Amino acid sequence: MSETSMSNWQLIKNGIFAENTIFKLAISLCPSIAVTSGLKNGVLMGVAVLFVQTMVNMTIALMRNVINSKIRIPVFMLVISGWVSVADMGMAAYARDVYRSMGLYIQLIVAFASILARAELFASKNKVVPSMFDGIGMGIGFLVALTIISFFRELIGKGSLWGISLTGGVKPMLIMIMPTGGFFAVGILMAFFNWMELRGGKAPAHH
Amino acid sequence: MSEQKNDTEMTGADIAKIIINLVVIYAIGGMILATVYAKTSPVIFTKAKQEKEERLKQMMPEADSIEKTGEWQIHHHGAGYYTAQKGGAPVGYIVETFGKGYSSYVNTLVALDTKLVVQKIDVVSQKETPGLGDEVEDPAWKDLFKGKTLDTLKVVKDGDQRYIAAISGATISSRAVTDDKLGGGVKGGVQMLTDVLSGKTQPKQAGNEGGQH
Repeated sequence: MSETSMSNWQLIKNGIFAENTIFKLAISLCPSIAVTSGLKNGVLMGVAVLFVQTMVNMTIALMRNVINSKIRIPVFMLVISGWVSVADMGMAAYARDVYRSMGLYIQLIVAFASILARAELFASKNKVVPSMFDGIGMGIGFLVALTIISFFRELIGKGSLWGISLTGGVKPMLIMIMPTGGFFAVGILMAFFNWMELRGGKAPAHH
Repeated sequence: MSEQKNDTEMTGADIAKIIINLVVIYAIGGMILATVYAKTSPVIFTKAKQEKEERLKQMMPEADSIEKTGEWQIHHHGAGYYTAQKGGAPVGYIVETFGKGYSSYVNTLVALDTKLVVQKIDVVSQKETPGLGDEVEDPAWKDLFKGKTLDTLKVVKDGDQRYIAAISGATISSRAVTDDKLGGGVKGGVQMLTDVLSGKTQPKQAGNEGGQH
């Protein structure tokens, strides 16, 4: 993949549909199972990833000409962990309320394959502006995927949404909020989106 | 990104260049992080302290003074215990405790009346599994602790109302708060306070405000 020819809008759409981190690229599946047991967790994690992905992409794009290609992976890791630490410390100091609900997720992002993958595949070869839009698109794609997964898992597994109970006494299927249920949810949704695409006769995903 | 040369063709100068490149980038990264840390850590410290005082007050709103009376060690964490007074007469105690959970030590505050009956608990911090273990912060679950004593601080799965009902799928986290069987949790804290008050163990005086007794 060399410098992109896609427009900014296409880059965002690409991140949400054609190269959706979870449903298409099937990377960062660990967090997609680990933190999607509730809608709130899924959405907050998605927002945290959206922020870090965009900042990391822009930083890498800025630095792309000064990084020796042999040491690019350690440099990417530094940039990712640096942004995560800055976001973590900044929120802890100046946005205590946000930190209380998001702090846990921000720290987990260091180990996300999706962030590193976009730094390597896109930002290290593109200018700052397209890299920013790629980060936003990828981040929104991740957010959308986590929102859908956690919506179904919380609804079926706990009978509630965003912590608000909806069942009215019906016993929920607890297995859906266990890791096992995470595999079910991701697998079924992935199959569903692929089926939709095949049935719609849309062109195969852009590569 | 294709590699122009393979490793055998690298000269000493190439290696030196790579090393310098990496060292410079990491040094800059380190400096940025150090600056952010230096700027934020005092703010974080003060805000965390304020929040702690605020939390203690909320544990026993009727008290007009809450004094630290001592410290104890649980799971290698230092935790304080406090005496709440109103108009000079003690109205209760607050104990800070830690319990070993599934993926973290759950930090809890317990408010007790003078007869050592639990009035209220509050989970200060925990890193249990989101969606399962973090249900220990659910207000309805925390309300189960009201009126519990040493004998009834026990996690049960059969719904016996005299005890604490385990959270579905999160028995370990429920135990971390209630009784982790390792001397921690709310029960560990109440036990410690009972021992101190009955003189079984000597209380360790609070470091910076000694002479409260």
